[in-house]
Amino acid sequence: MKKWQCFFCAFIYDESLGLPDEGIAPGTPWEEVPEDWSCPECGAAKEDFAMVEMD
Amino acid sequence: MNMETTIIIGGGHAGGEAALSLRQGGYAGRIVLICEEHGLPYQRPPLSKAFLLAPEPEASLIRPAANFSKADIEIASGIGVQTIDRQARSVTLSDGSRLSWDHLIIATGSRPRQLALPDPITAQPTNLHYLRNLTDAQRLKGALQPDKKLLIIGGGYIGLEVASAAQSLGLQVTIIEAQERILSRVTAPEVSAFYQQVHQAAGIQMLTGVQITTVNFSSDGTAIRSVTLQNGDELPTDVVLAGIGAIPETGLAESAGLEVDNGILVNEFCQTSDPAIYAIGDCSNHPSKAYQRRIRLESVPNAVEQARVAAQSINGSPKPYESIPWFWSDQYDLKLQMVGLSQGYDQVVIRGNPEERSFAAFYFANDKLIAADCVSRPSEFGMIRKLVQAGTTASSAAALANIDVALKDLL
Repeated sequence: MKKWQCFFCAFIYDESLGLPDEGIAPGTPWEEVPEDWSCPECGAAKEDFAMVEMD
Repeated sequence: MNMETTIIIGGGHAGGEAALSLRQGGYAGRIVLICEEHGLPYQRPPLSKAFLLAPEPEASLIRPAANFSKADIEIASGIGVQTIDRQARSVTLSDGSRLSWDHLIIATGSRPRQLALPDPITAQPTNLHYLRNLTDAQRLKGALQPDKKLLIIGGGYIGLEVASAAQSLGLQVTIIEAQERILSRVTAPEVSAFYQQVHQAAGIQMLTGVQITTVNFSSDGTAIRSVTLQNGDELPTDVVLAGIGAIPETGLAESAGLEVDNGILVNEFCQTSDPAIYAIGDCSNHPSKAYQRRIRLESVPNAVEQARVAAQSINGSPKPYESIPWFWSDQYDLKLQMVGLSQGYDQVVIRGNPEERSFAAFYFANDKLIAADCVSRPSEFGMIRKLVQAGTTASSAAALANIDVALKDLL
């Protein structure tokens, strides 16, 4: 499971947690997050996220 | 081996991103990030929102410390820059040392505009606050105690976000705005009216179109006791926050002889009038292709995107900065997301219903979509950004207003 971070506000999408509030189930890989999804914190587009290595 | 050096002055969103982005783009030289504040670059947007509400607030780093050390970025923390020497290609630091550079990035940000106080004053009033950095936020947080009277001068983002937080902390909040409506510089009357109504419904006293004529001090002269307005009303207060705009930090650039006019003037590659020196973020003023004029923006997306542009130029693969500006603001349970600059619009179209606290306002000028404000419709904002970027024509106006039409069908 990977983590993806918003380029602008640093919000983290954690594949293992998903975003159940937005109908994205835990374990949903990044590739399966809808293309028109946007950052719940700042509104950045999905393409504005990058994979991050977290400690 | 003679290694190239890039020095970045300023450890905010722009400076931190420039450092990481340079390395990511293959820069092999030395990178020094000079952070006048102690510590690594941290998130500023939460300082007027979540930070004030948290029981034990902490600054959150923009990127983990490991990212900087892995990228071999030298952090000079708690040190300021005193002068830039363009002939010698060096900077003098506040500890007296000198550092040479081949490329210099100025990311000095902006500072709060100061409230005009009667002259002469001996010291800053102890209960007067501004909000720009972590120290300001910690001080303000300490002052936001339940039942105190908070007077906010300025109905812009800072004032409105702090009002929202202070209201939920149990303060009695009054906002005074010199213009006829809040957010007048950035949104249309429809959106201003919506936010004014939201704040009033939450219990905030909102006074627009008012001027302060006198600031009244406590008997010992150390604190602001009240302000008197043009109509003669006196507003007593315990805590004052002035959120009346920001001034770009251009002093170093001016002293170094760089061209400055409401920010450090840069070209589309973020280069100043000295091509080896770049300026990014709040302190820079760039030519906007989309709006056919120079603009200076105070926003995280602008800071981060300009950082990338400067890094790409230094790494030898220059790409012009052509992004449409966008912003966000959290107040109460509402998420305001904005794209484009709406000044000069001649038509506005509303999608959704302000009464349901979820709508978008689209602004057109000369039959072209130039900007949009989006209130609590985060799932549509990504598509709205694309529509503005594409310069959608006014023939789509009726469809934009119809919530049964999917936005992606209009692209």
